[in-house]
Amino acid sequence: MAKPKLALYWAASCGGCDVAVLDTNEKILDIANLADIVFWPIAVDFKYHHVRAMEDKSIDLCLFNGAIRSTEQEEIARLLRDKSKVMVAFGACACFGGIPALANFANREEIFQTVYHELPSNSNDSGTTPLTKTEVAEGELELPELFDTVLTLEQVVPVEYFVPGCPPPVDLILKLVDLFASGQLPAVGSVIASDKTLCDECERIKEEKKITKLYRPHEIIPDPNKCLLEQGIICCGPATRGGCGLRCIEANMPCRGCFGPPPGVTDQGAKLVSAIASIYQGDNEDDIKRMVEEMVDPAGTFYRFGLADSMMKRKRLHKR
Amino acid sequence: MKTARRIPLLKKMLAQLGIEDERVRLDWVSASEGDRFARIVNEMTEQIRQLGPFSNNGGGENG
Repeated sequence: MAKPKLALYWAASCGGCDVAVLDTNEKILDIANLADIVFWPIAVDFKYHHVRAMEDKSIDLCLFNGAIRSTEQEEIARLLRDKSKVMVAFGACACFGGIPALANFANREEIFQTVYHELPSNSNDSGTTPLTKTEVAEGELELPELFDTVLTLEQVVPVEYFVPGCPPPVDLILKLVDLFASGQLPAVGSVIASDKTLCDECERIKEEKKITKLYRPHEIIPDPNKCLLEQGIICCGPATRGGCGLRCIEANMPCRGCFGPPPGVTDQGAKLVSAIASIYQGDNEDDIKRMVEEMVDPAGTFYRFGLADSMMKRKRLHKR
Repeated sequence: MKTARRIPLLKKMLAQLGIEDERVRLDWVSASEGDRFARIVNEMTEQIRQLGPFSNNGGGENG
């Protein structure tokens, strides 16, 4: 019997998700034994035209990492969707927009202005910016067009499963592979992670959550045994799905929210506003003002990985 | 009391997302202040009407 076909792709991402697949170490050989890798730009030399030549639904499993923010990424997402039986949003960027979706606090024009004109490290006296079409002696050159808004994979094509994380931990990758290999994939739409919050899984000592000052991680050396939130450090654990293996918590760093909202929570950022404001002690205007000042960048902190997937999706665009 | 803390923090976040401050208002009205309640609701309604319909992307492309 022919082996199942596996495709992996990266869109707007850092490459960390692909490295996470390689982090399965010797288990990568099991994956290679189990499936034929038919497309994987970071590791295997197949091109887009090879994928286009495949029959529809001939790829059994596609692990798609990265958000969608250009015409090329959108095109390949649609292509792989057509060719794949099972599409997995792999990693925080594909699931929720991830770090690239912080660009949704700006738009394309502002990004180009900063990156190509204003950055002090630039040397761009002629003011060149990338164009989608450029005439040269040999003909016309084309570049993908950047969107104003970074999108999640599911905002572009239907997705069967979600594996969150920045990057997804090895045990969840292997769990997905096992479920796939044994034909036991759960209901479509499932998130391959825990159904609890990170706080539920965290083993730090938790007492009463009452804080009188918020600290940013560089302002304090946290007690490694006590709840970080109780020490005044913004930890996204109350409104973040568990299953990550507590990697940050065990490194004495607060949760940054890369597993997205837990079941039943629509908007991770709104939930975190509620949680932080609830435990901050203060009942007069000065206390409240101090809390708001200490929370330096609420939108960027609470939607660090989830802006594209939030109710607002982006900062409002005001165009001419 | 939690609400008194949540709303200012929420407003700071909404401002970062480009949402006008006037779209969210926190006020305290007792059950005996019917007139005041009606006045505040009318004010709020009129304020929102002047701001116009809310759209996520301000009418831009690529939502």
